[in-house]
This record gives sequence, C-alpha cells and structure tokens, in this order.
Amino acid sequence: MKESDVSEAITLLALFEDIDPAAEAIDTLRELGIEEDQINCISGIPVLESMLGRPRQWTNVPRLAAGGAIAGLFVGIFLAFITSNLYPIYVGGQPLVPGAPSIIVIFEMIMLGLLIATFVGVFLDSRFPSYSPKEYIPEISDGSIALLFSCPVGEKETFVEAMTRLGAEKVEPAEAQQL
Amino acid sequence: MAVTAESLPKSGNHAEEHEDPRQHLMFDPRPRGEMNAMVMDAMRISGWKFWVLVLVLAVVVAISIFGAWGYMIAEGLGVAGVNRPAYWGVFLVNTVFWIGISHAGTFVSALLRVFKAEFRRPFTRAAELMTTFGLAQAALSIFMHMGRVWLSYWMFPYPNQRGLWPNFSSPLMWDFLAINTYLLASTMYLFLPLIPDVAMARDRSKGWRKTFYRILALGFRGTEGEWTHLRTAMNIFAFAILPVMFSVHTIVSWDFAVATRPGWSSTIFGPYFVVGALHSGIAAVAMVLVLVRATMKNMDYFIRKEHLDALGKLMLVVSMGWAYFFFNDFMVQWYGGDKFTDALLHFHEAGPLGWMWFGMLIFNVLIPWITLWNKRIRTSPGAIFVIALLINVGMWFERYIIIPISLSINRMPFTWHEYVPKVEIVLGIGTLAFFVLLYVIASKLVPLVPVWEVQEGQMAHTLRRIGKAIVPTVSELE
Amino acid sequence: MGQHAIPEYSANWAEDEQGKWGMVIDQDLCTGCQACVTACAMENNISFVGEEDAGYGRSMQWVRVERFWIGEYPEINTTPFQPVLCQQCGSAPCEPVCPVFASVHSRNEELNAQVYNRCIGTRYCANNCPYQVRVFNWRDWERPDPLSNQLNPSVTVRRKGIMEKCTFCIQRIRQAEDLARSEGRQVEDGEIEPACVQVCPANAITFGRIDQPESRVSKLALSESGTQLLEELGTEPRVTYLKGGSRYGRNG
Repeated sequence: MKESDVSEAITLLALFEDIDPAAEAIDTLRELGIEEDQINCISGIPVLESMLGRPRQWTNVPRLAAGGAIAGLFVGIFLAFITSNLYPIYVGGQPLVPGAPSIIVIFEMIMLGLLIATFVGVFLDSRFPSYSPKEYIPEISDGSIALLFSCPVGEKETFVEAMTRLGAEKVEPAEAQQL
Repeated sequence: MAVTAESLPKSGNHAEEHEDPRQHLMFDPRPRGEMNAMVMDAMRISGWKFWVLVLVLAVVVAISIFGAWGYMIAEGLGVAGVNRPAYWGVFLVNTVFWIGISHAGTFVSALLRVFKAEFRRPFTRAAELMTTFGLAQAALSIFMHMGRVWLSYWMFPYPNQRGLWPNFSSPLMWDFLAINTYLLASTMYLFLPLIPDVAMARDRSKGWRKTFYRILALGFRGTEGEWTHLRTAMNIFAFAILPVMFSVHTIVSWDFAVATRPGWSSTIFGPYFVVGALHSGIAAVAMVLVLVRATMKNMDYFIRKEHLDALGKLMLVVSMGWAYFFFNDFMVQWYGGDKFTDALLHFHEAGPLGWMWFGMLIFNVLIPWITLWNKRIRTSPGAIFVIALLINVGMWFERYIIIPISLSINRMPFTWHEYVPKVEIVLGIGTLAFFVLLYVIASKLVPLVPVWEVQEGQMAHTLRRIGKAIVPTVSELE
Repeated sequence: MGQHAIPEYSANWAEDEQGKWGMVIDQDLCTGCQACVTACAMENNISFVGEEDAGYGRSMQWVRVERFWIGEYPEINTTPFQPVLCQQCGSAPCEPVCPVFASVHSRNEELNAQVYNRCIGTRYCANNCPYQVRVFNWRDWERPDPLSNQLNPSVTVRRKGIMEKCTFCIQRIRQAEDLARSEGRQVEDGEIEPACVQVCPANAITFGRIDQPESRVSKLALSESGTQLLEELGTEPRVTYLKGGSRYGRNG
C-alpha cells in the first residue's frame, strides 16, 4: 500500500461489541495486508495490547517522570542550600543549612517534580488538549471497541464484508467529527 | 463487554448457606451503556430539595467565611479564643482534622490500588473528591489562624527586592511545601482517571454540559496510546503519592513534635498522626458513601454492603493501630514523666475538659472494638454512619486535646490559662458547610463513579468451581 | 572575642556560651512593685489591653513579675518575686520555627531580634518559647489622646497581628554605642540602662557586658546564689537570677 494508493485510501471504522471478535478482526486485517501502524484501536475501557495481538504501545511518561524528579531535586537543592546562603540569617543554635530540614525540602520537591512531570507527560504524549475534529463514534464510551484502519478505496467492499462476517456491529467510513 | 457468570446448581449441596458472590458488584455486571446511563442520571437535578440544600449551605458559608472571617481580619485575632499560653486553638485543630480527612481519598485510590483491593473500584472518585475539598478547607483554616494573613505570600519562595527567602528550618515551611505538593498531586490524581468518564459524559450530554465536558475531556477518545499514557501515569501516581501522603501528616505532626512543650515533644507523633489521619479519613469515606448511597439515584447499584463491610473492617484495624500509638505516647509520658508532663496528663484526664479525653477513647477505641467485629453491624449503613461519625468526633477531640488543651500547661505555671473558643466555632462550621457545598455541587457536575474502572473490574472477575464451591476469581489484567 | 567570621557548614557555630549583653536580677532585693513593668511599657510603646483581655491571658507585658506562695492564709510562705523577661537565649527555640525569619539572632549584639514588619502572625515562636515571654497584638488597642503624646519616637508602634517581646532596650544600646563611637571611646560599664534597670527602686536589676569579666554584671552573675531559668533545656539564657543569698536565707 504505497504512494499510488495513498490518494485513494479511505478510513473505515468497524465497531465490535467484544474483545474476541475484535482480536480476530485485527488478525484478518493483517492477513488482508494492512500494516500495524495503519490500524488504530479505540475502546471504552483499557484493553491490553496483548489481548488484541497488537504490538506494545510506547509511552514517554516514565522518562518524563524521571526527568521531573531530577528537576525537583535541583529545585529542592536550590531552596535548601542556595537560598540560605544568598541572604544568610542565623537562627537558634542551628547551622545556616540545617541537615534534617534540608532532606525534607528536597524530598518534597522531588515528589512534586515527579508528579507534575507525570501529569504533564500524559498531556504531551496524548497531545491533549485537542479539540479539532477526530474520527470517533459515541458507542465507544458505552463499552464497544472500534477499529480504525485505512484501506484502498477500491477494496472497500472486501473489508466491509470481512469485518461484518466477524461480527462487527457497523462498518462505515470514518468521518472526523467535532467530539 | 459482557461477563458470563455461571448459574448455581440448585439444592442438595448447601450452596445457599454460603454467601452468594453474585450479590457483589463485580459479579453483577450490567451492560456498560446501562451503567453509563445510571451514572449520568445520578447527576440530574430533579426537584427543589437540592437547591434548598445548596442555598442553605451557601448562606452558612457566606456568613461564616465571608462575614465572620472578614470581621476577624478587621478586628484582629482578639475575637478568637487564643491567648497566652494557648496561642494555637481550634483553627489548627480544624487544619489537622481536614488534612486527616483528606488522607482518605489517597488511601482509597492509591493504597488500595497498590494492594489491588478490588472493592475500591466504585468509590475512588468519591474519596478523591473528599481529598481535594478537604485540603481546601485545611488551607482555609491555616489562613484563618494567621495574624497578618494578607502577607502570607511571604512564605512562598520568590525572588524579591529585599532579597529575603523563607526559613526552611521552620516546620511551617515544610507544611507549606508538603501540603501544596499533596494538594497539587491529589488534584492531578483526581483528574487523570476522570478524563475517560468525562469523555463518556461528553458523548451523552447536550447544551452547556456538553461544552463543559468537552473542554474537560481534552479530546480523549480511548485510543491505545491514550489509555497507555493514562494508565502508566496512574500507576506512577498511585505509588508516588503514598510517600507524599505519609510525609504530609508526619510533617504536620512535627509542627508540634519539634516544639519544646511538655506533651508535644514526643517522638511518636509522626506515625501516630498518620494512623490518626487514616482513622478519621476512612470513617469519613464511610460516612460519605452512606450518604451518597442514600441520596443519589442508582448509587445503591454501585456502592453495596460489601463495600461498607470492607471499610468497616479497615476501620476496626486502623482503630487498633490508633490505640497502639496512643497507648505508646501516653504510657511513655506517664511512666517517665517530669512534673510538667505529669501536670499535663492530669489536666487532660481530670481538668475541666476531661470528658473530652474519655469521649475520645470511647469513640475512637471502645465503640469500634465492640461493634465492628460483627458483620451485620458492618453491613448496616445506618450503624456504619453512626460509628464513623463518632470516630470523627473522637478524632476531633484528640486534636483539640493535643493543641489547645496541651498548650494550657507549660513550664511556667504563672502563665497557665484555659482556652475558650469564640469565633473559631463559627468559622469551623463554615469550613464544614463549604466542604459539603463543594461536594454536593461536584456530585452534580462530575460522574461520581468511575464507570470504566468498574467495568474493567467486572471484566477481571469471574466465578469458577472448585469442588462443590463456586469461588470468585480475579484476573490480573495489568 | 571580636567579630565571628561566616562559619562553615558545621553544627558548632554557636556563639560563646555567655553571650554579649546580660542581666542579673536579684530576687532578694525585688519588692514586686512592678515599676519595671510600667517603665518598660512607657519606653517601648506597649499597648494597654484593658481588663477583659488582661484577664484572659492577653496582657501585653514584656516583663512580668511572677509571684508564688505556699500554704493557706494566714500561714503563707511567699517565694521571692520573679521578674521574667525575654532571656535572649543563645540557642533560642523561638528562632528556627518562624517561617519568614521574623525572629532572628543578631550576630552583632548577640540578642534575639523580633522583626516587626516581617511578622505574619503564625505565633509558632510564642508556642516554642519555654519562658512564655512573647506577647502578641491580638487587636489594635486604642491609645486615645493625649496618651499618644507619651509614645517613644525611638521605638516602632506595632499593629495587630504582630508578635513582640523584650529587646533589652536595644534602642538604648544602639544609641549609647553610637554616642561612644562618635566620641571615639568605648561604652562604659553602667552607661546603658534598659528602662527596667533604670527605674527599679531597689536596684535589683543589673545590666551590662557579660562577656567582659570586669563589668558589674559579670561579677554578679558568677555569684554562688545565681541560677538560670530552665537552663536544662539548653537555651543558654542571658539572665541570671540571684536568690537565697540575703540574710533572710533560702526561701522556697
């Protein structure tokens, strides 16, 4: 499915009620020649990639979280060690940079950095917020699984028939709609 | 996403004597669309009672938080009951109390998730809302107790023209950092699992609600990528927010423990306060769930007796933990006590507010211990509500004893003086009304049950036969 | 002794144990007349709180005269009067707990300084003071004319929400040091008298440089009958109390 077919590709949406038929449908799609990255699977609950026979999904969230923790560490070091030296004020028999309180400050800032980075990581990885029209069908939030895949226009009937045979509730061209 | 449950064979094998697991939520699945409709229906405002409640609460909040607090800011803290030597009073009691309540949400959604306790699924959001709103009340109470609250922003580390930074040796600064971290973290942790539910609400709404949910849903569809990012983040949050939760209440306890006061300078305060927070927090969750079940449509499908049962068992175990730490603190002080600590303990038990000390022990220990071992009591919503309410009252007493009552006794007997709260009572009632108001409004704006998590759980639960018994089985789907 | 260099990150930065400015209060001479309380209020622009607030533990006294007695009337044994004021601790518990550095240690005078315009009123310092000498401005108390003519221009007037306490009349210390420096000499022993010292009719309070062995206050502080309040807490107070050395013997 290369350049000559791109201009004539159509995105189809096949809706399934259950995981088993959806998994079989993905196998069928692969047999019919559709690449993994041409298939997108949308569901109302998280379905493991292994259940559908799909490759593992990448995610940057753990790395971003680690980066956030390191950023938090630097903020904590700044607050605990550097601010006390910028304007040295002495209090009650404690050294200028007290040991145990510094640990507390650094710990809290590491956790704050970690959690904020995790949260922001979800936004970045999923490209949230995104309010442009997208291919979607409301039945998904009612628990169905939808398979979005692009196939050449000419072969559309083959795919529709294959999906319906496997138990799809509906197979229709996917339209980008305002969510 | 149907789950098939096998039917029990009839008669002859005593199967009916044992509890039917199909009564449990995880084994009583309904089609997702139906559950969605139930949750959406619960958000509909039908009737005048809701508006009357909101109006009454709003009036109470306006009078206390805007009226009474404004009066206190104008007149000074003299209109409150604080004095020498009880420089801290009910405001700090309320602060510690609300932070304790807020630990409930994190306990349910993070600790129970980490331990894979499946019974948490229907009420994680109800508990997380308690955390966010409880922390808001704690923050209000902290601001209320400050003498010059309009300058409280000086506690924030920002470069300024005087070159001054806050003092990180101070436990109040640790409070500042920890509570803000916890507030941000729990709000983010509330929002992440909310996204798929808000997407569902978006698909089923019209008008202003649809716009509201559409914006909040951020364009979530449920693609593999979105779910992966979301679930990875939720797992990180669940593990990481636990040390934050422990550190927050430990740091709050250090406000008292690092001081030189008799009765305060106790090394057990860290874990003692954390367990105390769990005690009042879990009881508060139980209270809220009973109320939600009784007042909102369809919630009795999601929140069932098995959840109250599980919470009741937790309440009993945590009550034992609290008793252990209390006895530790008390016994060690009593045994080795110097004359001031002795005077303090005597003042606790036999002073003018001695009834509070006994009340605390009766509500926190005696009543849970004589009731919660019994399954019938644990599964009775009314009984659980009363026991949980008494636990919360007992825990409020505990903090009142630790703060203003303990402050009345110090090492300079000439300064001993009792504490009598004045405007703090009005302001405390205001924070309670504000909490309820925020919760009630949120329950109509946001799906209260994380339906996708419930369905995920129902998918993982099956019944299988071992010998003659039908046993519940949970698959690990992570 | 001289100036301390900025110390390294070690825990033993603490100043010399006895400090710089110190006070000795002879409880056998104290008559409990409370002239010190009055003079302090005049010198430092302290507010008058009224009967109700004073009865509720909110009296604004930077120095208070404590009295205890043993027994029931008429067989009463009184203990010596005990004027308690800020001990200007070398290792002050009130200092590390202020979140905004409003309670700090002055390295020059080696006194505990309360920075009025920085205080945001969390009152942790007052909770942590074992001597309970810190007082808080619970309200803006009135000072109707012509009472406002009595205000001392060398001392700030504090508003509600601010913590305050005895400063060893630091304004007098500074004034005398400035005068001495402009005259090119050292401050003489006895030249600086805080208000309480100046007014005491029994001369029960002595004030001066406690780090100079020749000063009167140093010699008195070394007296055998000298004790310090709550010194087991390790606060390193700068006030020494003499009692039991008079011809009336130890009394309670």
